[in-house]
Amino acid sequence: MSAPEASAPGLGARGPGPKEQILARVRDALQGRAPVEAPGPFGSWRPPGPPAASPPERFAAMLEAAGGEVVRVRDEAGARDWLAGFAVDFTAAAVGFTVPTALRPALPQAAPDVAPLGVSIARGAIAETGSLLLDARDGRRAQLLPPTHVVLVRAPDVYATFRDAMLAVRDDLPSAIGLHSGPSKSADIGHIMVKGVHGPGRLIAVVIGQEAASGA
Amino acid sequence: MSGGTTPNRYRAEAARTLAERPSVRSAVTSATDHSNANRGRAYAEIDSERWRDWARDMKAHLLTHLDRYLEEAEASLVGNGMRVHWAGTAAEALTALRGIVREHDVRRAIKGKSMLTEELGVNAHLEGLGVHVREADLGEYIVQLLGEPPTHIVGPAIHKSLADCQRLFHERFGTALDADPDTLASAARAVLREEFLSADLGISGANFLAVDTGTIALIENEGNIRLSTSLPRVHVAFVGIEKLVPRLEDVAGFVQLTTRGSTGQPIGNYVSLIQGPRRPDEIDGPDEVHVIFVDNGRTRLLADDVSWEALRCVRCGACQNICPVYRQTGGHAYGWTYGGPIGAILAPALLGLEESMPLPFASTLCGACADVCPVRIPIPEILLHWRERAVEAGLTATSEAVGLAVFTKAAEHRALFAAGGALLRWLPWKAGGRALPVLGGWMQERSAPEPSAKSFQDLWKAGIE
Repeated sequence: MSAPEASAPGLGARGPGPKEQILARVRDALQGRAPVEAPGPFGSWRPPGPPAASPPERFAAMLEAAGGEVVRVRDEAGARDWLAGFAVDFTAAAVGFTVPTALRPALPQAAPDVAPLGVSIARGAIAETGSLLLDARDGRRAQLLPPTHVVLVRAPDVYATFRDAMLAVRDDLPSAIGLHSGPSKSADIGHIMVKGVHGPGRLIAVVIGQEAASGA
Repeated sequence: MSGGTTPNRYRAEAARTLAERPSVRSAVTSATDHSNANRGRAYAEIDSERWRDWARDMKAHLLTHLDRYLEEAEASLVGNGMRVHWAGTAAEALTALRGIVREHDVRRAIKGKSMLTEELGVNAHLEGLGVHVREADLGEYIVQLLGEPPTHIVGPAIHKSLADCQRLFHERFGTALDADPDTLASAARAVLREEFLSADLGISGANFLAVDTGTIALIENEGNIRLSTSLPRVHVAFVGIEKLVPRLEDVAGFVQLTTRGSTGQPIGNYVSLIQGPRRPDEIDGPDEVHVIFVDNGRTRLLADDVSWEALRCVRCGACQNICPVYRQTGGHAYGWTYGGPIGAILAPALLGLEESMPLPFASTLCGACADVCPVRIPIPEILLHWRERAVEAGLTATSEAVGLAVFTKAAEHRALFAAGGALLRWLPWKAGGRALPVLGGWMQERSAPEPSAKSFQDLWKAGIE
């Protein structure tokens, strides 16, 4: 690991910097405090109930409950057909950089800040929370600026739990991952829910394929 | 920061809110009722006891190894290409920010929702440097336009009714006085979209920071944080030193527990996991990401054998929502950034015991806050601890001690007790009570029903049911 930069200097002419002072105060504070061992891994514990649905089914139910929309298609051909029909209502789209050519809608490209539609491909999804994992390498602006956002995701990439998803991506992290689990929303005006505050007011997940995810 | 008041003025401000602005009480009660119902449902869907035990233990582990984890976190963040600053005080945090502003010639800043930046007074500092700064969270934006601090950790503007917002937006953006919330939100979206696109600097806090991967985790519903951390060329994250978690996968448990405790959602609609500036294979994102680690009194809490448990707080607002005292007034009366139960146990360490009086006493000790806390902070125990400290330090009113001593004496002597009761019933209560010594001070900020014409004993003898 490279040496920390930009932190305050160590023991210089003016004495210890803020880092050394804070760490010294932490060590003083912990004198005589019994160290607590880390608990085991987080287990998403639930009360007993019916067996959980398959990850893609559970993902769909969770995302829909949060105000998102879900489309299930059998394969890439099904996704292309659905996209062709959906694109009819739009004049242009901002399409993510890692969306395969075969899955790009037949629309003129537009910059994300003016495009009426954004199309992204997700790195994966989380059944437990109804979340799409959006990778910065696909382009952040197309994920955030257009009012309608279509996200493609392959059914085998739907992880059962948030923790599973983190374990799966942790060795290949981009500058940012955005978990999108519904449309942009706010209840800050008079406690009444509105959609599309800053991000897309409409979020549509297109789940490609039928296979259950890892661990199933 | 504190809206022109201080914790010391709590009782007067709370009384004033109730007397002069009754709409605040109804708005806050209505909003918190909603959150309480949602949290109840969300906890029932999971084994919430086990989740909360896990979160308590993980935070306790982190805090008892904090020196080691802070150094490891710095190494991970720097390894990810971020720049790390350390700030012992608010002034040092603002100095670090000023350095970044000067280095990048920042003229415009946009801020995602963050309580730590409220605690530090970031907006006022930036304005003093001539930087145009806008809050991007809709609730924060509303209170910024009104020149008020946030009233609640999660819902900054819950004390405002729809009519309040309609009036504000009519004056600022020319929307109709009866415009619906969608129209108002569209107006704010249009203004703030331009702010996002033109800002040089994006500011955020951090809900969690994963030590192993050097990941800043942020939770929200609007997109204000995703945009603030994605569009401007520089991103600065203010991170309280207690925000660390050991591993990225631990974020999974904490994020879900925080939103279930806060709004009752299984997760926020947006969660950002940030590992640094834009990489060569990425088309957008900031060129530079800075993390400012902030102490500002947190090590004083850590050193206290009772109140250090407050450092587990994940700022979900559940204790505010459930508190029968907070719900009457909202947060402004408390006179600083964090109102309600959590604020009353943080204030003595973050502000100083004398400066935080009488907040540790602004509670009935009913225990509802501890019942709902997702990280099981024993808030009533810590309140009692600070009360004991306040008495030891001579910070409680002598009139209260005198009053209690008089009452104790009277209660031990039946004739004295009866005579005292008769005296109180005889006094001209409503108007005259305020002129009395001791009792007068008490009456300034309270109302009480008029005493019965007869004592309980007399009524009992006369045969009450």
